[in-house]
Amino acid sequence: MLKVLAKSELGQFLDKLKQEFRVVAPVRRQYGKKERVEYHPVENSEEIILDSQPDTPPKKFFLPQNERLGDELEGETDLEEGEKETLIFGVRSCDLKAVEILKPVFLDDDFTDTYFQKKLEKTVMFGLGCSSRQENCFCDSLEINPLEGKNVPVNMYDDGEKIWFAVRDKELEKFFADLPDGDAEELEEKKGKWQEEFEKTAITLDLPLPFPELKTFEAPFWHKVSANCLGCGVCTYYCPTCFCFGFFWEKHPEGIDRWRTWDSCMFPLFTKHGGGHNPRETQKQRTRQRIMHKFSYHPQNFDGVPACSGCGRCISQCPVNIDLRVILRTVEKYLKEEEGVKSSG
Amino acid sequence: MDKYLLPHKAEVMKITQETGSNLNIKTFRIRLLEEEARKKFNFYPGQFVELTVFGVGEAPFGFASSPTRDDYFDVSVKETGLVTEAMHNLEEGDEIGVRGPFGNHFPYEEIRGKNLVFLAGGIGLAPLRSLIEYVLDEEKREEYGRVQMLLAFRSPEDMLYKYDFPRWEKSPDTLVKYTIDEECEGWVHCVGYPHDLLHDELDLNQPDTVFFTCGPPIMIKAITDELKSSGIDPSSIVTTLEMKMSCGLGKCGRCNIGSYYVCKDGPVFDLKQMEKMPPEF
Repeated sequence: MLKVLAKSELGQFLDKLKQEFRVVAPVRRQYGKKERVEYHPVENSEEIILDSQPDTPPKKFFLPQNERLGDELEGETDLEEGEKETLIFGVRSCDLKAVEILKPVFLDDDFTDTYFQKKLEKTVMFGLGCSSRQENCFCDSLEINPLEGKNVPVNMYDDGEKIWFAVRDKELEKFFADLPDGDAEELEEKKGKWQEEFEKTAITLDLPLPFPELKTFEAPFWHKVSANCLGCGVCTYYCPTCFCFGFFWEKHPEGIDRWRTWDSCMFPLFTKHGGGHNPRETQKQRTRQRIMHKFSYHPQNFDGVPACSGCGRCISQCPVNIDLRVILRTVEKYLKEEEGVKSSG
Repeated sequence: MDKYLLPHKAEVMKITQETGSNLNIKTFRIRLLEEEARKKFNFYPGQFVELTVFGVGEAPFGFASSPTRDDYFDVSVKETGLVTEAMHNLEEGDEIGVRGPFGNHFPYEEIRGKNLVFLAGGIGLAPLRSLIEYVLDEEKREEYGRVQMLLAFRSPEDMLYKYDFPRWEKSPDTLVKYTIDEECEGWVHCVGYPHDLLHDELDLNQPDTVFFTCGPPIMIKAITDELKSSGIDPSSIVTTLEMKMSCGLGKCGRCNIGSYYVCKDGPVFDLKQMEKMPPEF
């Protein structure tokens, strides 16, 4: 089913969805002086921003930055009964892929994370095909199609005037029944143009995945690529796939709550032992850990898939302009040279 | 629903002060309070638990007792930080939280019929004690070959499990040796580091021997180097590693060495596996 909606009628359409779902979409949010476009429950359809990538990914709906796990003396927190399903409106391919990357980590057979699982089960995502490249993104270099969201019941396209809905789920068709049909050929033509733009601006990465662990670990370039890193951890906090976490506790008159909170491999205390020893004492070691986790360890453990979806947020947000693409190029170049030395030597 | 992220309530049954003035090590005997949880709580030598001091925090500890004592387990705790300090302030009868058991275990089945050598340094003896007690258990003893141990401590003041030693020494076909770092008055056993002593003090020329070592990282390194250079197969040299571990589920991201998560893929590794890891430990 292919349907179109004039953007001016988005409000009415969302009202229909809101009857059944808690609708969240990218809106502008103010944090002190800082402004960010984030997924947030929508009040007014005019505030929805679909023409640029949201500053933060929808990861927080599955793995909240701070999440109360329960009272240590009384037991776990349950999701409130009768709570509406969340509909995340307009999730781009990179962020959809990121959720796919998180799934096997938290839904593994050994230790299924029921907190993550319950939230995922109560969430529906509408994909949003990108019509233009964002400042720093490179999902297409990681075999992700920026136009076609995977594993979503509905994929949307925004051509500036109209929103196109490719509806792939029969159960959701009722919401779209009143909308006019879209002309498939017209959409294909638009997508062809967008695709062309992506191809023109693509960077080619020829990454050997997973990165060969020992060869890359000992390489001399880590010092150079991490030299100006401040260790602020912004890259990991904006990342749609970073999932490192820690616990903290809050005492209250009735008991003690255990919370889970995002943590970061970029922080020096992250790995420090109680006895004082720290296996990742320097920023170089920590930068290496972040890159190697994403491109060597994660693909080794999860069917060759890197823990990066090329959204480029770490690049956009880094206060000292560290560019993941440059680091990946550096690794690629180093490994090629090493290979060359080996075959000629 | 299984609670991986929230602890079970348990009771501190007994606290044993292990060492004297030098190092503060106490051994805690712990028993889960709920019968249902206690029934499901099956651990193997080499695994670990996450213990919560309510309102303070959580830390990982290796099992120091044999699973053949089924009602309780022991952990030995050296006072080094916030959680361990709070543990040392606990009293018998206090409640604590328990998550686990986590991690892999010593290959207690694969080593049936083999000769065993244990090389321990300080509190590194704690996780080995779980396996030692298992193989020396009267019901299990005949399933294993000769057992030899070289137990190293900084000084006589730093010894732990002294009350176990007479029983271990009396176990059939078992040799127990002790060493301290420096000569001191009244000491009748060996003096020196275990990697220097092991050839003289133990009989290493028996076929089919598996070596287990745990202690400070520098001791593990010296011993594994020494054993390897004596021609011992790296897959017969087994150790248990220590990293900062928080979730115990192979997810939270602290304890990995390369693609291995020490809390899930370990903490028990043989030298053959360790040689494939990046030199991060």
